[in-house]
Amino acid sequence: MTSRVTRRDFLKIGAAGLASAVLAGCQSPRRWVELEPYVRPPEEELAGVPTWFASTCRQCPAGCGVIVRTMNGRALKLEGNPEHPLNRGKLCARGQAGLQLLYNPDRLAGPVRQAQRGSRQFEALGWNEAVNALYHALDSAGGSVATWLGTTTSGHVYDLFRRLTSALGAPDPLVFDLYSALNGYPALAGGQGALPGYPLGQADVVVSFGANVLGPGPSAVRYGIEYGDMRSQALGQRGYLAQLEPRMSITGAVADRWLPIRPGSEGLVAAALLRLIADQGLGGDRAERAAALAADVDIEQAAQESELTTGELQELAQMFAAAERPLAIPGGASDAAALSAVQALNAVAGMGGQGADLPPAGTPTPVRPPLSTWAGARDLVARMRAGDIQVLLVHGANPAYDLPPGAGLAEALSNVPTVVSFAPLVDETAVHADLILPDRTYLESWGYEVVSPNFGLPMVSGQQPVVTPVFDARSTADVLLTVGQGMPAIAAQMPWSDEVAMLQEMVAGLGPGEAGGSGAAVLWARFLQHGGWWSASPPAPVTVAAPSAPATVAPSQYQGQASQYPYHLHVYVSDLLAAGREASQPWLQGSPDPMTTMAWQTWVEVHPATARELGIQDGEVVRVVSPYGSLEAPVYVYPAIRPDTVAIPSGQGHTDLGRYARGRGDNVLKLLSAEARTDGGLAWADLRVRIEPTGRQAGMARFENRVGVTEGFINQGFPGE
Amino acid sequence: MQGKNRSIRTWRLIAGLLLILILQGAGTLWWVSNSRAQPEEPIEFNHQVMVQLGITCLFCHSDAMRSPAAGMPSVQKCMGCHSTIATNTPDIQTLAGFWQRQEPVPWLRRLRLPRFVYFSHRVHVVVGGLNCERCHGDVGHMTVAEPVVDLNMGWCLSCHDQQPNKQQLRECVVCHQ
Repeated sequence: MTSRVTRRDFLKIGAAGLASAVLAGCQSPRRWVELEPYVRPPEEELAGVPTWFASTCRQCPAGCGVIVRTMNGRALKLEGNPEHPLNRGKLCARGQAGLQLLYNPDRLAGPVRQAQRGSRQFEALGWNEAVNALYHALDSAGGSVATWLGTTTSGHVYDLFRRLTSALGAPDPLVFDLYSALNGYPALAGGQGALPGYPLGQADVVVSFGANVLGPGPSAVRYGIEYGDMRSQALGQRGYLAQLEPRMSITGAVADRWLPIRPGSEGLVAAALLRLIADQGLGGDRAERAAALAADVDIEQAAQESELTTGELQELAQMFAAAERPLAIPGGASDAAALSAVQALNAVAGMGGQGADLPPAGTPTPVRPPLSTWAGARDLVARMRAGDIQVLLVHGANPAYDLPPGAGLAEALSNVPTVVSFAPLVDETAVHADLILPDRTYLESWGYEVVSPNFGLPMVSGQQPVVTPVFDARSTADVLLTVGQGMPAIAAQMPWSDEVAMLQEMVAGLGPGEAGGSGAAVLWARFLQHGGWWSASPPAPVTVAAPSAPATVAPSQYQGQASQYPYHLHVYVSDLLAAGREASQPWLQGSPDPMTTMAWQTWVEVHPATARELGIQDGEVVRVVSPYGSLEAPVYVYPAIRPDTVAIPSGQGHTDLGRYARGRGDNVLKLLSAEARTDGGLAWADLRVRIEPTGRQAGMARFENRVGVTEGFINQGFPGE
Repeated sequence: MQGKNRSIRTWRLIAGLLLILILQGAGTLWWVSNSRAQPEEPIEFNHQVMVQLGITCLFCHSDAMRSPAAGMPSVQKCMGCHSTIATNTPDIQTLAGFWQRQEPVPWLRRLRLPRFVYFSHRVHVVVGGLNCERCHGDVGHMTVAEPVVDLNMGWCLSCHDQQPNKQQLRECVVCHQ
């Protein structure tokens, strides 16, 4: 016989306990708050009155304008700059979290030397000693210096690295990081630095070929604004969005139609649409234009490959051809052939040449650094392995995390006598460095970003320090100028006393722009005040050149045998952690993923039918095996994915990058091949994997309650399944 | 059987309640002792000496007439005088230590309004014409300044209600913006 506490007793005791807890909790142990007055106050500062600075966000390469609220010399809040024509006062979650990069407790306090690579035993250096070490390394290396930069490296830092390496007789810096590779930047930019922007806001029918425009793509905030414009057009018109992708992204979730096509068949669908428009004479003139650009595609085969019905293809083609202003947007997985087919659709649509905007020729903006493909990065790794590189300089990129293990970067790095990193936090690459000369983070440094995609209006976002440096970090631009001044051959290429003098010269060359003014001092003041420079009026739009020949797209060749590896792998860029750089920021780690509400970890999205077939439960750890590697992560049963596809987000699996990033989840790059696609891109969209249950259950950090969401469906089947 | 069960349950309930009472008592004691305790300031700053020497409040808390916050003097301001005055007293030597290390003096905040209250020194001093003592007490006769009022809503309203525009000053949004 057991005695039980009744519900009434339980409530009584609970209420009393709660009351005592509340009473005890009223008073925090830290009753006394410290006031920290200035040691030396700035003249214009008033206590209790915030000072706002206009600057540029550097969490991704888009170049959104931000305004930063500072109080007593501390940055408190980031907001979008309402004056900035790109993001018009809006800012995404990643932008908001930038404060946590600035105040990250794991940032390096100053320059360090690592006697034994990988030991993580750092010996503090003075800046003089550190700059001297860099100087001597470069001086003796001459032309065998290589520079690896990321897409968020400021324009002037790229320029200085380029001047330095060209004076030394070394090749131009390589710009390659995972963010740009997963978003398909190199293919979109066509060997250049500028990306096309698709005017979603002006279109009435949009077919997105896997472009997660509202997610972490080329310009998430601006595309959010464009999406709003598309849905609320003049005279109550509401644009139509069809999203073709194997796994529902946040863009797929708001689309009018989500078509789960087979991974890698985007180009084939675009080619089929062209063929249908041409053959069936859809859309008047458009049919004639399509006839010139359509390749020989068997519609039945295209339908079979993509797993759409011919009816669905027909419907899409008709809708696209009949629309007033149709638009096709290519996704990050598109290779050159697929891109060309999508671009041909835009040429057929003939939206007044607005398919894509590039910086018009003759505008005074500086040029955005050209992006390298994966093949280009691989060539550099090969040169490192061959011992051709004496000194490797790494800034704004983290190749040791960003490359598939098969690329053999670790081995290649061991053949480079001197590796210098400029990372503010010790990342996976800095662990392999001999010398770390930490750069300042973007909220405490100078710079600019040539905005791209710029949606037709040339813009240069200005970046200025909003606080005094938190740690003893030094601007890489100033370090390079100091080094350059010591070498007569380079000094002539770098005639500036410091980076500010260099930026002032660049701004004076831009001319008045929207903010007006004349004279170098006024132009500089307005550049800082408004947060950048932009054209007073948009120049005539420029389009990406329409393909001249028919766009031939071959059916996808998948890596891995279907018998051994039955599932397609869909890698997607995490909405919050992007390609992994933001994993050091706990706000972003803790923010729930918009589609799954998952946080703090890596997960594998599996369709309920597939989960049932494999006998795996939600939260069960599985091993995902590809021909190139494997990883373990818990399963998230996700109804909005193709049953033959599993999806894994990027961003986790760091071994370094500070306490918040380290040892969480796994890096999806482990599964990828180091071989490049035929167009030089990273091959991440045509991979097959198998799933091996481990029988272990893992805790899942998520916000949603699974009861009634998918649990019932897992056993009983989904409607229409 | 049923009677025995009931008595076990009653005893359990009593024991539970007793435990809670003890916890509550400990919590209250801790709270009372904590709230009455005066903190140790990094420097035993003597307001009285300053005021007797003719230094006005605004000399150090110089933003009171132009900003919502009165502000604390910078270390540089303190050292403006104390690099030559009373340099051999222990407190000034402590101050000089902060200056040498270029560190702020970690003063403790004695008066704190909740975050949901908007308060502006400038409005009270310039528009309302109040002197500092009205809220901060006779700091000129204190050694280490201590709060003399409990900054609660009733106390604020007791003054707002005496103003000619008391109808306006009773509006919620005046303080809870």
